[in-house]
Amino acid sequence: MKIHFKIRRDLLREVRRDLARPHSFAAERVGFMAAGFSSTADELAVLARGYRGVSDEDYLPDHSVGAMMGPEAIRKAVQWATSEGVGMFHVHAHHGRGHPRFSGVDLREQAKFVPNFFEYAPQCAHGALVLSDVFAYGHIWLGDDRPYDVVTRFVEVGVPLKEWSAL
Amino acid sequence: MSRFDRQSFLGADSEIKLNRATLGLVGLGGGGSHIVQQTAHLGIGGYVLVDPDHITETNTNRLVGGRLSDIAKEAKKVVIAERQIRGLMEKPRVVPVTDSWHKATADLKSCDIIVGSLDSFIQREQLERFARRHLIPYIDIGMDVHDLGGGEFLIAGQVVLSMPGGPCLRCAGLITDERVAAEANRYGAAGGRPQVVWSNGVLASAAVGIVVQLLTPWFGKPPQFIYLDYDGNRGTVTPNERMNLYEGRTCKHHPSEETGDPFFDIRKFVRRRAIPPRKEAKNGGFNLFGRIRAGRVFGKASIRRERG
Repeated sequence: MKIHFKIRRDLLREVRRDLARPHSFAAERVGFMAAGFSSTADELAVLARGYRGVSDEDYLPDHSVGAMMGPEAIRKAVQWATSEGVGMFHVHAHHGRGHPRFSGVDLREQAKFVPNFFEYAPQCAHGALVLSDVFAYGHIWLGDDRPYDVVTRFVEVGVPLKEWSAL
Repeated sequence: MSRFDRQSFLGADSEIKLNRATLGLVGLGGGGSHIVQQTAHLGIGGYVLVDPDHITETNTNRLVGGRLSDIAKEAKKVVIAERQIRGLMEKPRVVPVTDSWHKATADLKSCDIIVGSLDSFIQREQLERFARRHLIPYIDIGMDVHDLGGGEFLIAGQVVLSMPGGPCLRCAGLITDERVAAEANRYGAAGGRPQVVWSNGVLASAAVGIVVQLLTPWFGKPPQFIYLDYDGNRGTVTPNERMNLYEGRTCKHHPSEETGDPFFDIRKFVRRRAIPPRKEAKNGGFNLFGRIRAGRVFGKASIRRERG
């Protein structure tokens, strides 16, 4: 199965700008992206709608990791998913120009909290993205009873169109 | 030596990019048939061709690829378009749809770009909305002949690139409530509007240039919003004043909340594809709200950053 993630270039720039801002104590920023979906016989398209960065006050001090979200950050994301019926994708960035990948901690933490969005927006898929300054990489859960799939292709919608394979 | 050597300035990988691309071409009459011909020459590999009509005698003044022998056979315009493509491409990916574009949405939503050559303002707006919902760039071409009186006419038209999130046909002033209402009032009595081959060709060529800019641009920083006016009496194609004015602006008519299929349900998608469920226990029983309400630390999530 092919899974495509499409995002408007202006939105992607907004996300990168927000994630690049310094925080008073967290070493990096994180946020959530809302998405709609469409499908064909052999493809699932994830269509990014909007982005909300985690508020300054919703980080917890924890110097063992780059960023620690508090419960209020996740509650707001759950609220967004529930009220608008959207898929929720956790986003953070590894700066540089290469193809990013999740760290071991990323994988462990995502597996804990991403599938829980199905309790509140079960009609949507949910996932996590990691951005570099040029590319992105993502995991997507199609249900809370199955492992994640890898987003196979990203499309940055602007002039010109830009796309890259994540595999 | 490749048949595409003379367009190699489009980039070392332009042949691959163009071949991989899939265009949705809605309306295969005067404008659309030019686009079919040019994009097949360019080497674009995928097509969703949509038009419910067959060729008639009055189409032969402008329908590129149409033959007089097609009239008696009542050849569908999509068949003529596919014949054009297969005459220029070895293994094109063609999905012909001899119906309204509303019946082609399953194929159109996987297109990289949709080009509409439709007469109806209502249809143009609906197609644009569909494209935006699926984050697909939409290129709209339109042509008209205006009676100036005294036996004189003005041939005019426009090409608009409507990018998701950017200015739309309403922002451009092309779609207005008045035009939509007037069209609705004369429904069924529209009749054939004047169309000529050369002005269709100019507008289609401009649209194909935008297609190439989207797929494999030949210069840096192309505009994100394109609105070109064609004046067939002066023989000019010029940027509409709104093109510079609206560059970089966002659209209020198509909010981002409309993005995606409103009836999509991942559970149905998974069932339809019979994707087997995971065998492990469901997520280890982690309950987000329960933990947040309990005020425990598990409601947080950490992201490792490589330090140093």
